Amino acid sequence: MSRHGRLGRRELGGLAIGAFAAGALRSAQAADATTFVSGFGLPINLDPHQIFDVPMQAVMLNAYDNLYRYQGDPPKIVPWLAESHTVSADGLTWEFKLRSGVKFHDGSPLTADDVVYSFRRMLALALAPAGAFLKILKPEGVTAPEPLVVRFKLETSYAPFFAAIPSISIVNPRQIKANEKDGDWAKSWLASNGAGSGSYRIVPAGYRPLEYLDMEIFDGHFLGWSDNPKPVRKIACRPTKESSTRLLALLDGSLDCTDTNLPADQVAQINASKIAYVQKDVVMRTFIIRMNNTKPPFDNLNARRCFAHAFNYMGFITDILGGYATRDPYPMPDTLWGIPKDAKGYDYDLAKAKEYMAKAVAEGAPMKRPFELHVQSENEQSVQGAQLFQSDLAQIGINLKVVGNIWSNLTTAAAKPETTPDMWVHWVSTYFVDPENWVGQMYDSQFHGTWKASAYYKNPEVDALLRKARALTKQEERAPLYEEAIRKIMADSPDIWIYNSMQLQGLNKRIKGRRFCTVGQGAEMRWVTLAS
Amino acid sequence: MLRFVLRRVALVLPSLAGLLVVTFLLIHAVPSDPAVAMAGDAATPEQIERLRKQYGLDRPIWEQFAVYLGKVATLDLGESAFTRRPVARDIVQRLPATLELTFCALALSVFIGVPLGVMAGLKHNTWPDYLLRVFSVLGIAVAAFWFAIMLQLLFSMQLGWLPLRGELDVSIARPTRVTGFLLLDCLIAGRLDAFADAARHLVLPAVTLSLGGLATIVRFTRAGVLDTLQHDFVFYERAMGYRRLRLIWIYVLRNSVTATVTQIGLLFGGLIAGGVVVEAIFDWPGIGSYTVQAILTGDRQVMLAVTLLVGTVYAGVNILVDVVHGLLDPRLMERT
Repeated sequence: MSRHGRLGRRELGGLAIGAFAAGALRSAQAADATTFVSGFGLPINLDPHQIFDVPMQAVMLNAYDNLYRYQGDPPKIVPWLAESHTVSADGLTWEFKLRSGVKFHDGSPLTADDVVYSFRRMLALALAPAGAFLKILKPEGVTAPEPLVVRFKLETSYAPFFAAIPSISIVNPRQIKANEKDGDWAKSWLASNGAGSGSYRIVPAGYRPLEYLDMEIFDGHFLGWSDNPKPVRKIACRPTKESSTRLLALLDGSLDCTDTNLPADQVAQINASKIAYVQKDVVMRTFIIRMNNTKPPFDNLNARRCFAHAFNYMGFITDILGGYATRDPYPMPDTLWGIPKDAKGYDYDLAKAKEYMAKAVAEGAPMKRPFELHVQSENEQSVQGAQLFQSDLAQIGINLKVVGNIWSNLTTAAAKPETTPDMWVHWVSTYFVDPENWVGQMYDSQFHGTWKASAYYKNPEVDALLRKARALTKQEERAPLYEEAIRKIMADSPDIWIYNSMQLQGLNKRIKGRRFCTVGQGAEMRWVTLAS
Repeated sequence: MLRFVLRRVALVLPSLAGLLVVTFLLIHAVPSDPAVAMAGDAATPEQIERLRKQYGLDRPIWEQFAVYLGKVATLDLGESAFTRRPVARDIVQRLPATLELTFCALALSVFIGVPLGVMAGLKHNTWPDYLLRVFSVLGIAVAAFWFAIMLQLLFSMQLGWLPLRGELDVSIARPTRVTGFLLLDCLIAGRLDAFADAARHLVLPAVTLSLGGLATIVRFTRAGVLDTLQHDFVFYERAMGYRRLRLIWIYVLRNSVTATVTQIGLLFGGLIAGGVVVEAIFDWPGIGSYTVQAILTGDRQVMLAVTLLVGTVYAGVNILVDVVHGLLDPRLMERT
């Protein structure tokens, strides 16, 4: 080997060690005052027309715009890309007037044609975000009669249409078409790239699925930045996978916010630190134990009531959740309109549970058979809740087995009544703020086969009420119908409604100007500043 | 030598084919419908059914297997149900991070473990030997996740010397991707700042991952050295007046590490499997978390591809181990 080569390696090694040593003492330094390091989970890909879940909201709200948007707490739907809208008396024709001067990230203007393209793409892909639209909107029903006017002609009157409008992001057709392959609507390309007009633009080189995502500020956003002179310039999404790492990262300042699933036992530790605190927000996310109403004894009203009285609601909320949840005895968040406040929920009362059990047994219900309650194994709190239920049921002679499972298996099983477990546990998050998101899709029998309707509850009167409410456009006309439907549903006790969530999120104290909305769970960044 | 390697490769191929069949059958036995995962949370049964047809999930299993085999033959590993990107692309993006971590951990295990094992063997029944025996038992017994958290608490939270997680600081721009191996790419780009930062990020995960392997290698090397020291040729060479260092590091070591080299091959598989936990704790962007996510979402294409890939890499490493065995002991090559 030549002397020259040997010296080269030595130099390189020396330089590397020197650089390593120089950086050794700066590992715990906080990120700079323009970069926000987010611990929000990432969606499974970046296409807002393919994915529609809670993590996607953080991408949609920052990198894309929509016609209307939910803002504030409690959430209100406000004009965003649209300045205003009108709806025909029959509820079938909706027109949205767009703002002028809106630009996409590539500088091209956003017009009504782009909105039409976005809705048609969403309908063509027919994936999760299309769920609220497929039955009521055909691609040709979306048109642009004027450059800044979009018209929707619905197949049937559907009041939640407006509530679901914020779930559709407007994409840039020019970027999409340039990356299409075999008429795939650039599905693969947009899964890893951005084509929006939102306050932040996706940096494709800064993306690895489920690992990290970088977004940088879009100075040309239509709202301008006069309402936030010191905005975050870069959002670095670095989700943590382990609870302990998430806590340490927040406490050493390398993470500005955790995701919104902070365990209650970490609250005191974070609040005791000098650098971070726990933000508590009541969100519209209900926690439910489903009962398969087609499987005996859950086809028996007294049996279902027995189970509903055997759950220790306040014990679970107080002792296991540390009080960070609110008891919600209704089948949807008690902060939403359409709740019959006079309706009484089920309380924890083992004596009543025994009474109902005796009645159910007298009616031939097989109460002595072993039951299975399926929980998502990775969620410790739902496992603990199930174990609490198991111990209470044991006291009245009911044998409950807690079965660990995963979400994909459970949703697959819930597609058919015969494969749906006796009982299973899940939350229902806010996909759109309307009773349709909860009672509409959970208890109208036309949704049987979806995980949301996995109680397989069927009551023709309830079906009629929900369908009528869905077809009306005025909230004051719809509310009494939902109230009536909920009274009937609660009397039938098809599920066990437990709590409405309180979101716990660890935040660095340098975060100022955060605006919370239950849709997106506080992930919208355009008003945030970082104190030095 | 070539014949030796070809023979080993030929023996590996049926194993990989068997792995593919068994994995395919096992994955299809899991009661999880990928169409449900693909359709997403708010999907209707009609949307799910459409996807089932689109991706051929409604076809008989043998037909699905035939289609999959055809694709694998052309190196098409399919599309992920959850990232909606080609699986090969996702793997190519992540595998280098896993291999970088695994090789660093393996290097730590070997380059520290072998000398320590030799020392323990030479200092048999003295305090260094007792100390190393305690260390090797602890190293195997300690859970990786606990050790990782202890390292994080000490070196990141208390001393502030090393980063807590990730592979690069958010303030440092990533170098242009050439090989996918971050350290190499930093050097290729002449980015010593990024190299130093990446190296510092690598320390805690690599040390955590190496612990079990290190302990194993110490034990096997120690046992090998103790055994070799009893052979006649050692007495002979001592009597011939060979220098101690030459005797130990050439003659004794060469005859002692056969079992250790075998262990290294086995360890490699263990390190990749153990990497799942370490990657999760340190938010290391390798295939570990990708695989876990695929299992949780029932993403069959990813599960199949990762299993096949890890099997292939494992087989490759063991062929390499066989070659090293052959080089250490040429009689093995002659026999085959």
